[in-house]
Amino acid sequence: MTTVDKTQHSYIPTLVEQMSSGSIGRREFLRKATLLGVSAAAAYSLAGVPVPGNIAQAEDMPKGGNLRIGMRCMEIKDPHLADFAEKSNVIRQVCEYLTLTDRNNITHPYLLEKWEVSDDLKTWTLHLRKDVKWRKGRSLTADDVVWNLKRVCDPAIGSSMLGLFTGYLVQQFETGEKDEKGNPKKSSKLWADNAIEKVDDHTVRLNCSSPQIAVPEHLYHYPMFITDPEENGAFGADANGTGPFILTEYVVGKSAKYKARTDYWGTGPYLDTFEYVDLGDNPGAGIAAMASKQIDGLSEADAVQINAMKSFPHVAVYQVETTQTVVARMHPDIEQFKDKRVRQAMRYAIDRDKVIQTALLGAGVPAEDHHVAPSHPEYAALPKYPRDIEKAKKLLSDAGYPDGFEFDMVTRPDPIWELNTAQVLAEQFKDIGVKINIKSLPSAQYWEVWTTAPFSLTAWGHRPLAIMTLSLAYRSNAAWNESNYSNADFDKLLTEAEGILDPKERSKVMAKIEAIMQDDGPIVQPFWRLFSTVMDKKVKGFELHPSQYIFAHQYAISA
Amino acid sequence: MATFLLKRLAMMFVTMLCASFLVFAVCEFTPGSVARKSLGPFATQQQVDLLSEKLKANDPLLVRYGRWLGVLVGAIPDPLQDPTTGLNFKDPRGAQYFGNFGYSTLNKLPVNDVIWDRLGNTSILAGLAFLLIVPLSIIFGILSGLKEGGVLDRTLSVICITFTSIPEFASGVFLVTLFVILWPILPGTSPLNSDGGWAVPYQFVLPVAVLVIYDFGYVARMIRVSMIGVMERPYIRTAILKGMSTRRMVLGHALRNAMIAPFTVLLLQINFLISGVVVTELVFAYPGFGRLILDASLFGDIATLEAATLITVAIAVITQLLGDLGYMLLDPRIRVR
Repeated sequence: MTTVDKTQHSYIPTLVEQMSSGSIGRREFLRKATLLGVSAAAAYSLAGVPVPGNIAQAEDMPKGGNLRIGMRCMEIKDPHLADFAEKSNVIRQVCEYLTLTDRNNITHPYLLEKWEVSDDLKTWTLHLRKDVKWRKGRSLTADDVVWNLKRVCDPAIGSSMLGLFTGYLVQQFETGEKDEKGNPKKSSKLWADNAIEKVDDHTVRLNCSSPQIAVPEHLYHYPMFITDPEENGAFGADANGTGPFILTEYVVGKSAKYKARTDYWGTGPYLDTFEYVDLGDNPGAGIAAMASKQIDGLSEADAVQINAMKSFPHVAVYQVETTQTVVARMHPDIEQFKDKRVRQAMRYAIDRDKVIQTALLGAGVPAEDHHVAPSHPEYAALPKYPRDIEKAKKLLSDAGYPDGFEFDMVTRPDPIWELNTAQVLAEQFKDIGVKINIKSLPSAQYWEVWTTAPFSLTAWGHRPLAIMTLSLAYRSNAAWNESNYSNADFDKLLTEAEGILDPKERSKVMAKIEAIMQDDGPIVQPFWRLFSTVMDKKVKGFELHPSQYIFAHQYAISA
Repeated sequence: MATFLLKRLAMMFVTMLCASFLVFAVCEFTPGSVARKSLGPFATQQQVDLLSEKLKANDPLLVRYGRWLGVLVGAIPDPLQDPTTGLNFKDPRGAQYFGNFGYSTLNKLPVNDVIWDRLGNTSILAGLAFLLIVPLSIIFGILSGLKEGGVLDRTLSVICITFTSIPEFASGVFLVTLFVILWPILPGTSPLNSDGGWAVPYQFVLPVAVLVIYDFGYVARMIRVSMIGVMERPYIRTAILKGMSTRRMVLGHALRNAMIAPFTVLLLQINFLISGVVVTELVFAYPGFGRLILDASLFGDIATLEAATLITVAIAVITQLLGDLGYMLLDPRIRVR
């Protein structure tokens, strides 16, 4: 029997027991234990497995050099508004998170030294590292962190963190005004004045209104950067940060250039300089640039690119299973989609394996329309939704559309697999009499309408916990609730699930949530995507992170 | 002469005014407001409405166009730079000066900071291509026009027509496969920095080649037709009959007359090269004007589009003017009174 430190959370012994009895796996144990504030090293030793990562290799890493990665360099307005992995990848080298979720979905402290959580999962005490210095001189303090946490909770800022924090740090209230449709306008605020509280210079406490297990994972959501309050959300060359690199130049559509910090608190960086090169929207440019070694890697490579580059002798291919996906979502407040039987029919209409073969060249696994992935710890297996044209047609005619209907689906042409998916889905919807006209908008215009178009196809990124995606995308009035979905039962169950620590218990609630999504939900979700990319073989220390995150300070380049 | 130039300048001014208004009007039809574009896709409707109000974005089209003109000539400060909008848009030149193209909502920079570098890059690319297109097309055109239907004419015509009919993206991919992947002697993209281990001059080879391949055949065909016409003239027949050498006949008698019509075509290529290199720039990830216009139009970045329109229209009108002046030099019968 492993001895357990008394300062640890009271649930740790139960977890250890569950692991030894085999009711939870090692990975699950690591996730839970680290969530509860046990350091990753301690958790790994409790689980009896060696600590992964770069610490052991740090000495062997070659030093110096310049690494160039091909990636779109988009306009960045404010780190707290980062809405694409690419944007966060630019900021990530300069500003850092409080926590870090690794590629095995295990969350570690990052700018935090450790965290503690009360037994009721309502009080989270975050202990900051004391050795972290902003590049421009000062030490990182609790004031900085409190400022950042409060800023993302301000509805005027418009950060997507608001959606994650709603329910336990932030509460919604009615402003008393009415919108054009006569519905009361809502806004949100911290649920209590001391919801985010400074304890001392290096300690911050979150006092939550309801239990929440995913706090450390939320703190790693990609806009949750700790930025310098003095810069008030501005970001650009020379921006201050606690991170390993200094952004020396940022030109939208061209490149981002970095210089290594010499006084970085953590391990690395090994490189002298680091660079993102924007190769535009043409996938051929990525292949050509890799072929002539003008770049050392790509942030992402699609199936066609991978096939072209597999034969290059200097190129290594990386692939990882993710919870990245695409959803065809219907606004339930639109005439045609009002009846849930229509939405069900749409789900019965598709042949998932065919979609995967055609749109992804096989690089994916079937999904079940509830946006909870088998790799999510809270996943509950439900009976599969098979393709059933007869049933779909009957549901449609029961809902009053015996001859189907015609509708526009908004999507974007880039990346190409999204458009391909839209086309395959449209073909398959045709079989139940639903004629879908694809309206393909350039990305920039797509993101103008993604939350307002009645029917559209949207790609969703990787999140380590299903409750995160669900609360971002389907909780009533969440900022990213693109489906306008609003279901009180769903919201209630979601809040309940967020407070359940035991993964087995949580997955019982999750089964109900998944059933609601399949029965009533707004989405058709054909697959989970495999994520892949390429790097030059001389790049050391690279690990493909399922959320597409790039950590340049862990990479090195051998001569 | 002076009145001619004045007239042309006035025409240029009117053309630019019309074109800029057309762009302004067309941008009306792209989804998304200026406020939405400035704030990003995830801003709340409330924020967007507030900013729209501050920017007076709901005014009638003509009023907004007038305001844009006012900003351009420096009569009023750029409303996007007003600190009360909270957008933190700052232009080191100030908010009010002549030639203020406004603020690019795509790049979040003053248009003047973005556009000139890109135009410079494209000018280099276009200039290099032009330097090759002119002699190549003249030589090809003259040689095939000398004897219509001859073996040389047929051979050169096949080459010209084949090359011109291959679209730029196809020849781009073809050249990349050949010289980057199968026989790696050239870089596959042209970001115009030497960080990739390839000196900048090498990075011009493929994009310039694509442009030349696509364009020179067309111009050569124009010169050929003109040359054939000249070769049928009585004075050429006389020159041949009196035993003049082909070389003297072509250079001394035919060329000047044969170049009058193609001269315009050649000058038109400048317009094509400046604004029509989008595909080539996309294929080679070249940071040029074409890609900027493409990105700006996809995004609906009105300020950048307007500036780009004014520049391209100005280039078009200036090359036209040069064409007319060139006509006068080449053809003594044309004179301005």
